[in-house]
Amino acid sequence: MSRVLTICRRTAGLACSLYSTALAFGLFFAAGALSFAFSLEMAEGSQTPLAVAWTSAVAPVLPVLAALLAMDAWSEERRSGRIDALLTVAVRERVFTAGKFLGIYSLTMAATLGLLVSTLAMLYFFAPATLGNQHLVSFAPGLFALALQGALWCALSLAASAMCRHAAAAALASIALTVALPRGLWFALMEWAPQGRMAFGEMPLDAHAYDLASGVVSTSTVLSYVILACFALFCSSKATASLRLAGRGARALRASTALTIALAAALALSLLALVQRVSTTFELEFLVRGDNGFSARTRNILADSRGEISITAFLSRKDARFRPLVHFLRTLAGESEAVGGARLSVRYVDPRWDIGPAERLVRAGAREDSLIFERGRRRAILPLAGGFDERMCASALLRLATRAQRGVVYWTTGHGECQYTAYEPWGMSEIARNISHCGYRNMPVDFASASSIPDDCALVIIAGAKSDLSRAETARLDAYLRKGGRLLVLLAPAETAGLASMLSAWGIKTSNTPLAGARTLTGTDAIIGDFSEHPVAAPLEGSQIVLEKPLVLRPSAAADIAGADRVEYSELARAGEACVAAAAERGAGTGDDLALRPTRIIAVGDAAFVMNGQLKIRGNANRDFFLNAVAYLAGTDAITEAGTEAGRLVTGMDRAEKVRFVVASAIVLPGALFALLAAAAAAKRRRP
Amino acid sequence: MYEVRNIAFSYSNRKVLRDVSFVVSPGEVVAIAGENGAGKTTLLRILATLEFPEAGTVVYDGQDAFEKPLRYRRQLGYLGETPALYEDMSVREYLEYRAELKGETPKRIRRRLEEASQMCQISGELKLHIRNLSLGMKKRVALADALLLRPRILLLDDFLAGLDCAMRETARAIIANVASFSSVIATGHEIADLAAVATRFLVLSGGTIAAELPAAGSDAQALAQRVEAALKGSRG
Repeated sequence: MSRVLTICRRTAGLACSLYSTALAFGLFFAAGALSFAFSLEMAEGSQTPLAVAWTSAVAPVLPVLAALLAMDAWSEERRSGRIDALLTVAVRERVFTAGKFLGIYSLTMAATLGLLVSTLAMLYFFAPATLGNQHLVSFAPGLFALALQGALWCALSLAASAMCRHAAAAALASIALTVALPRGLWFALMEWAPQGRMAFGEMPLDAHAYDLASGVVSTSTVLSYVILACFALFCSSKATASLRLAGRGARALRASTALTIALAAALALSLLALVQRVSTTFELEFLVRGDNGFSARTRNILADSRGEISITAFLSRKDARFRPLVHFLRTLAGESEAVGGARLSVRYVDPRWDIGPAERLVRAGAREDSLIFERGRRRAILPLAGGFDERMCASALLRLATRAQRGVVYWTTGHGECQYTAYEPWGMSEIARNISHCGYRNMPVDFASASSIPDDCALVIIAGAKSDLSRAETARLDAYLRKGGRLLVLLAPAETAGLASMLSAWGIKTSNTPLAGARTLTGTDAIIGDFSEHPVAAPLEGSQIVLEKPLVLRPSAAADIAGADRVEYSELARAGEACVAAAAERGAGTGDDLALRPTRIIAVGDAAFVMNGQLKIRGNANRDFFLNAVAYLAGTDAITEAGTEAGRLVTGMDRAEKVRFVVASAIVLPGALFALLAAAAAAKRRRP
Repeated sequence: MYEVRNIAFSYSNRKVLRDVSFVVSPGEVVAIAGENGAGKTTLLRILATLEFPEAGTVVYDGQDAFEKPLRYRRQLGYLGETPALYEDMSVREYLEYRAELKGETPKRIRRRLEEASQMCQISGELKLHIRNLSLGMKKRVALADALLLRPRILLLDDFLAGLDCAMRETARAIIANVASFSSVIATGHEIADLAAVATRFLVLSGGTIAAELPAAGSDAQALAQRVEAALKGSRG
């Protein structure tokens, strides 16, 4: 072992004295940082964890570094003639191979660690928010993935170096072997069978890096890398030994060496087949768990949940969405355990391989590409066709973990309101579906025919009524509100539908005065990013909602009344100087010994902002704002945060900052590193 | 006893050595002379186990060198035609590395290094960087490396080539010194210098040993003349 370490030290020491090593390090840092910046750009706003994005970005660059570091390992010994001095020492070829491998491998891993530190430092400098809830330990699985792949690349590059007389040829051969061949084969396969892209999933090398970085460790993957690396080292050792077999007399020995390598290849293939057969997958939850950035809403739903909930991912393991989904479900289960909620057991059913369980799921009504949440005999099926996110899963959990229905949301009809059942761009079916995901039932109510509001009413929504409510209707609504009712009014432009006087009695006054100083894109809309500290608006801080020609809202005289009937008026959102969304509450804080249900009203100066068409085309927080209002009015106070941005990778860098990040991390820092290492190599050469 | 038995070697269709046999006793210095391409270097490479012979073998202490190569290499010191050293190291660093590689314990490395450097007269150059050494000095460093573990067999391939008179004188003295504990087999074209230290000359021609000339009973000059004559004869 001491000789292995001696050779390892010499290999690393020799590499450090070469300009080519300085160049390799500089190129690796530049390419790694550039790839990471690109990966950040692609993953912006997605659920991809930072550590996974980093690992996925560095993994494709690693074989090039290994090739550049290993190219001199044997070929330079041969070129200089030092090989004779090495081979006449009483040391076996495998000891030389092990020592040289360790030397190159340690340099490769040192460079990888350096790249991690430098990119994190750059992120800390340019986008500190990205690192806000990151634990360094979450990078450990990613480093493990790179260590595993790095071992294979170093072993293959060493074998190439042992077989080639010239360093450049060795580098080209190892790049061809480790980059061009696997990726070329993959792309050729995809070209040949494009319809199989979804079935095949990701490029296996990238998929392994992603899986391992996410903490999903498959024994077959790990052992496959170990077996292939050992085989490459064996070939390297045999190639070194065959340097003695130049003469004709060694023909038999050369043939026996070739036969040994062929037998070793057969053994390696058999072992690969065996480890694939007996593969086990386990998850390093303790490493990947941490502050995973779930929203307060999700955390509260998880904390409220009890018992055992089973989640089944019913999709192909080769599906591109499989890996992100695995990671998400794992962190969700970890979070539930952390907050003392239900025990979430996650399992994966591949429709093509797990025939029995798949058949059971299909009989239960589930379709391929869906998530199935089950608790006892209750089941919620979440189709994945349109993607998945935290809110959808939390809503499904909410439906299972709490009582079957949280209440009914009544939508008024008969006054030209937007229809919650209409799927057209001007309908509100999309937001109604979101409400239903939150556990509420949507029902229409016509005050003209109904004598009173039903008892199961959690909330009444008046979505852009265009004609006046009758006096009787207003009276029924007022009676409902006085009993602690909840009302969400979306006001159509320039129409107050006779609600003005009633709203005024509850503290909110509408006004047709034009908006002043509001930011706008089209001239008619208002971009609103100024939110108050109210529980409905506060979670939206940092995001924007867009309203079309919103009405201005002000507090009415009723808001000034003191005493038990006092209405507490709160602004929710402001466009310029004017308030466009407001909340009024009466009956809260009457006394600790009184459990009165307070009346709550929220008025928004626009009815179109959650129409289907708006939700589809606008990249804004309108949906969150609306659902926050619904949750505040109808649900428990604690679940008022929609927080769809939580848990997502958000750098917060604008274009100029991104350019600066790329310049600093992919040009300046690698350039400085190259200069430093080149100067160190030059200093070594200048020694007396 | 060191015995070379019926060695034959070819590169593809070209026969380089055929039926080469000789014996070397402990303390003997055997010089191998021959024209360019006579197979001197190939023979030494075979003796150093850097090449496998087509036929024949090398026996040392009754053991076949190619069957138990590690045991044989422990007793072997080899110095190739051109000294190939790690130029990024100092002389001391290089010799320490080589001693470690040869399996010497850290405690004994220092003593071995002192012995070898004194023997090769490089004690004053231990701190120097190998890149800055002359060819002669590099050869002495390489020789010190070959002598580090006091080998029982020392193979020197064209060791005296490229050295000036003074350096050759020094080299001769070193070889004579080494012969006190090691059998030396040296090749080269510097017949007079080799004759000064050799106990026997082998003249290699056409892949076989054309003449074997013991030094006994004649001085170095006479031996050199006999060797030159044998070489001319083999040419004729």
